[in-house]
Amino acid sequence: MNATTAELESLRERGLLEKQFDDPVQQREAATLGMWVFLSTEILFFGVLFASYTICRILYPHGFAAASRETDMLLGSNETAVLLVSSTLMAFGVRAIKLDQRTLAACLFAGTAALGVTFLTMHGFEYHKEYTEHLIPGLNFARGGPYARAIELFFCLYYFITGFHSLHVLVGVGVIGTLALRVARGSFGPERYTTLELAALYWHLVDIVWIFVYPLIYLVGRSG
Amino acid sequence: MNATPRPPEHAQEERRKDPSAHITPVWHYLLVLATLLLLLLASALSALIRLGYWNTIINLGISCIKTLLVMLFFMHETEARRLTRTTSALGFVWLTVMIGLMLADFLSRAYVPPPW
Repeated sequence: MNATTAELESLRERGLLEKQFDDPVQQREAATLGMWVFLSTEILFFGVLFASYTICRILYPHGFAAASRETDMLLGSNETAVLLVSSTLMAFGVRAIKLDQRTLAACLFAGTAALGVTFLTMHGFEYHKEYTEHLIPGLNFARGGPYARAIELFFCLYYFITGFHSLHVLVGVGVIGTLALRVARGSFGPERYTTLELAALYWHLVDIVWIFVYPLIYLVGRSG
Repeated sequence: MNATPRPPEHAQEERRKDPSAHITPVWHYLLVLATLLLLLLASALSALIRLGYWNTIINLGISCIKTLLVMLFFMHETEARRLTRTTSALGFVWLTVMIGLMLADFLSRAYVPPPW
């Protein structure tokens, strides 16, 4: 539906349309484009860690397989499922706000943040288990045998990759939790939801990073 | 300030429909979630079967399919403008170039010895 000049002026007066944009569509597309530029830098940030992982795994294939078998595959799989469900809730939340179902949207965003907290808690249990099994390099690492150095290297990468990912989840939980409160207070609606869409893009990217972390950390050498 | 003559007439005529205003049916999202969870199960089960280096290829392939599903449906790439789609692909393209060139160097060292 094409907006008339009067409608556009009304949007400007209500602060829904900045003066440098022709219409709300252009404004939203500019915001989405900017977010994707930021997300590209995030992809490259994690990409460097994945590149290091690739080289180390080519150098020590058997050591990495032995190290991966030390991780908790069941917990890792559950964490993946939790993030996938949380991404779906986020998508439903944005859909609800577009339909002006504000209470439902607030609940869905709160649910997304709660699943983020669930993910972090599960990760906490995982780190604690590794601490008790002496698998933290530099702190209490105790593994012998021919693959000891490779296992240590794997766990260094493991803590860097999963640690930075968890940091991103923590930021996401903070952002989405705050947005859930603002949605409940009525700050968003069918005319104002770009912020929610951008937060959703960030959350989905955090999910995508984990989609690659899961097979590279938890599933190596499981059949051998 | 309020008298700013906007938008120009041609922009009004050519104004596009708002792709972001599209409402995705509920069953689309549920179907995508079900597929994602099935793919998760498939990658976990396939990892338990001894397939050599195919384990890694299959698992990374499944991850690529999952990523495509998330990007196309949850991140609404199907409705995005071409410029947005290109930008969203760029990060992945540069990452592929970086890892590809790195592997080309690293894996060819055994066959192409350094001249010094």
